[in-house]
Order: sequence, then C-alpha cells, then structure tokens
Amino acid sequence: MSLVGSSNPEYVVARVRARRGMLYSTEEYRKLTRMSPPEIARFMEESTYEAEINALGSRHGGVDLIEYALNANLAKQFEEILDWSEGELYDLIVRYLRKFDAGNVKTVIRGIYTDASREAIETDLIRAGEFDDRLIRRLLEAESIEAVVEILEGTIYGEPLAAAYEEYEETDVLVPLENAIDRAFYERLLGNLPRGEPVRQYEAFLKAEIDFRNADNALRLARSGAEIDPAEYFIDGGDLFDRDTLARLARDLDELVEYIADSDYADELGPALRELEVADSLIAFEHATDTALLNYGDKLGTRHPVSVTPVISYILAKEREVENIRAIARGKEAGLSAAEIEEDLVIT
Amino acid sequence: MAKDVKPTRKNLMAIEDRIELSERGHDTLEQKRDGLIMEFMDILDQAQDVRSDMAEDYERAQDKLNKARAMEGDVAVRGAAAALKEHPEITTQSKNIMGVVVPQIESSKVRKNLDERGYGLLGSSARIDEAADAYEELLETIILAAEVETAMKKMLEEIETTKRRVNALEFTLLPQLYENQEYIEQKLEEQEREEIFRLKKIKAKKEEEEAKAEAEAEAAESETVSAD
Repeated sequence: MSLVGSSNPEYVVARVRARRGMLYSTEEYRKLTRMSPPEIARFMEESTYEAEINALGSRHGGVDLIEYALNANLAKQFEEILDWSEGELYDLIVRYLRKFDAGNVKTVIRGIYTDASREAIETDLIRAGEFDDRLIRRLLEAESIEAVVEILEGTIYGEPLAAAYEEYEETDVLVPLENAIDRAFYERLLGNLPRGEPVRQYEAFLKAEIDFRNADNALRLARSGAEIDPAEYFIDGGDLFDRDTLARLARDLDELVEYIADSDYADELGPALRELEVADSLIAFEHATDTALLNYGDKLGTRHPVSVTPVISYILAKEREVENIRAIARGKEAGLSAAEIEEDLVIT
Repeated sequence: MAKDVKPTRKNLMAIEDRIELSERGHDTLEQKRDGLIMEFMDILDQAQDVRSDMAEDYERAQDKLNKARAMEGDVAVRGAAAALKEHPEITTQSKNIMGVVVPQIESSKVRKNLDERGYGLLGSSARIDEAADAYEELLETIILAAEVETAMKKMLEEIETTKRRVNALEFTLLPQLYENQEYIEQKLEEQEREEIFRLKKIKAKKEEEEAKAEAEAEAAESETVSAD
C-alpha cells in the first residue's frame, strides 16, 4: 500500500476479479427477499461474510448484526484493495475510498457532540478509507471537536476543518464542519488526475457522481424552499452545472427539472424526473441516480480490463451489494413485502 | 329521612327555600351539562380527526425512517439525528371552555429548515430529509393530539361531575326535600286538624258547662219561688 512505486493494476485486477465472482447474484437477492432477518444472517454466514458474522455475533443481534457485519466486511475488502495497490493505482482508488474517512470523521465529531461513549463511536466506524489504525485511535481518544481538528492537521480535512471550526464555535451546530469534510472529499476527487483513456473513463464516472450529488442537493434545496444560498452547496468539477447555473436553478424547481431533463443524463434520469413532477418525494430520483452510477460502474469494468476501472467497478458493486443486503434486512425488519423491498434494491 | 325533621313552619319555609334553590341549581347544571356535551362532541370530532391524522403521520414517518435506515444505513440515520442542536420546545397556557380549564400547547422549533437540522447537506440524502420532515410533522400532530385529548379528558371529567350533581339533585336531594316538605305539610295539617278538633271539643264542653250552669241556675230559681 503506497503512493510510491509503479502502478500494479494487473495484480489488483486479478485479485478483484476473483472477488467479483463472489458477489451475490440477482437470484440470491431474490432468495434473500423471501428470508427473515435470522435466515439472512445464516445465509451470510455461509458466504463471504462468515468471519464477520461469527466475530460480531456475540455483541450484536438481529438486523444490527447484519448491518455491522456488512460494514466490517466492506471495510476489510476495501482495506485489502488499498493494501494490494501501489503508485498511481493507489492514488486513483483512495480518492474514492476517502468518502469512508469523511464518514468516520463525521461519526467521531457527532459522537463527541452528543457525548457518546468511545465504544459507541468505534462501533459505528467503517474503516475502509485511507486513515490508518493509529490515526483512528487518536481520533477516538479526542475529547473535544477542537482536538479532532488538530489531529486532522496535515490530512486533506485539516485546513477546511480549521476554517469551519470558527463558524462552528459561533453557531454551535455541526453543519459547517460536516460540509467542510464532505467538500474536502469531493474537491480531491478530480484534482491532478493522470492521463490515459481508463482514467478518462474513471473521471467521467467521478464527474457523474459530482453531477448527481449537485442535482440531488439542488432538488433538495428547491423543494425545501429554505432561504439557503445554493452556491454554498455547489461542488466544483462536474459537467452538468456551474456555480451560477446551480444557484439560479435551485430557486425554481420546474426550471431545474427541465434543465436536467435536457442534459446528457436525460436517458438515465428522465423517468425519475417525470415521476418527480407528480410525486412528493425525491427518493425515486435518488434511486435513479444510484442506478445510473451503478450502470456507469458496470461499463467501467469491461472496456479497459487491466486498469483502475475494473477495480472501481468492483468497489461500486461491493458497495451496492452491502446496501442491497442492508435494505433487504431492514425492509424485512419493518415488515415490508418482498415486492416492496425489491423496488428499493438497485440491481443492474 | 323525613322523620328526622321537626315539623315546624320555620323548617317548612327553610325547606321550601332549599327546594327553590336546588331546582334553580338543577336547571343551571342541566344546562351546563348539555352545553358541555355539545362542546365535548365538537372536541370529540376534532380528536377523532387528529387521532386518525396521527396514525397516518406515524405510518408515513415510520415508512420514511425504515427506508432511510434501509438505504442509508442505521449509522448514517443515527448520526444525522445526533447532529441536531435545537430540540423542539413546548409551552403550555390554559383556556376556559364553559368553566373547564383546558391546556393550550404552543410548540416551537418543531419544523426545521434543511440548514437547521445540524447535519451537513453535502454528505446526506433526501431520504434522511424526508424521514426528518415526516417526524417533524408527526411531532406537530402529537402535540395537537395532546392538547385536544387533554381537553377532551377534562371535559369528560367535568361532564361526569356535572351529571353526578344533576342526578344527585334530581334523584336524591330534591326527592328528599319534597318528602320532607310533604311530611311537614302533612304534620302541620294534622296539627291544625287536631287543634281545630281540640277547640271544638273545648267549645262543646264550655257550652255543655254553660248549659249545665244555666240549668242549675234555673232550678235554684224555681226552688226559691216555690218556697215563697
């Protein structure tokens, strides 16, 4: 695991390909939707999740056991991918996986903010990013948000957090800190990308991710009617919006929907946008953006077989598997029917 | 018990005063009871609507929360909830409905804008927003239900109390007073009859004595005449 050294996509792709074959199939999802949560846990115990289910079985039960086992398995697999990767490949992969670091930092500061115990915070961490165990331990030992900001000095979150800390002190709400963390992650996604066709494809995927995130946020702001400056929530780097366009469109929902419907994403998001006009919910739209991203991920996996793209494609597929199993288990816990659960799954 | 009452004219007057007062009180309480029942029926309709809204809102909020937990994960949902700074507050005042003091609950900071919920917009999703929205709506309905149902409960207690008072007047106190009144009236009439009878007796005896005295006087006079 290192930024130095030459890139080693051949080795990582071979390992990842073997892992990809172990992902659950559509048929297995269908079986899972007809099982109860204990049966799902048992099914997972007989697959790649065996070690995590056994390790966590004494501490958690029911759907919580499933969710923590899924998170632990995801973290283990992504950590291994980062361990195998070197050089440019590592840099490309870690860009995307830093979202777990961002999530962990937010979990730690939310934990400190609500006086949660160290154990409770640690349980909720998903160690799938760039942070090593030592840094995470230091974060867990921090007794104040100020200490967290100091510990993160030197990471990509250091400066933005330090800048947002003043606003946090004034308002005593976490919004500026959380936005600074997420913005730091998104701004590093596209910076200094190397050349080459596989990377261009990866870049297109990352841009789609940013575009969808901007579109989601603009729709949320337009729907809420709150007096919030949309430009504050603009993430630079996508193709769909620039700051001014987003700021203008987020004030008029109809114009925003029309703008997205006329964009390059019309095919992927068109049906969801039409639904948006009649439904009082953005969930269908978010579901459509998730499906579109997964389709991008699948395309990434086939065009350049020995490059970063199959690795990213696997990471996306694995994330989706975890989300789907969690959705099935939580849906079952809530008493939803198999048909209702299948509606929420994102399967390509 | 009528037997415990002294059958005097003073007591009769006192009982008549009490009957008049009790009848007036009975009419007033009956009117109050009817008024309360009408108010209660209005509140009952409102409470039924609020209850059904609350059940619907709860179903909707639970559905949104389940979907958010399913798609975003429990950790993300709990994290977003933990970021909340401004907790909802309620203040209670009171208002008077036909003499019944019922609470009036004012809530604040229940409905929040996207930037007031504490979690960052960039790293969260509409699923969490919609779950938060649905729970804020549910909380508002719960507060309204608390106000309406407490008012309903208090009205019901007051109706029960008023009904008990009306019944006590109608079926216990007034019949007892009427019985006492009748008893005293009967006793007084009886006493009057006895008095009349006694007077008649005295008058008859007096007349008899007078007649006897007269006869004796006449006899004495005739004896004197014959001696002469």
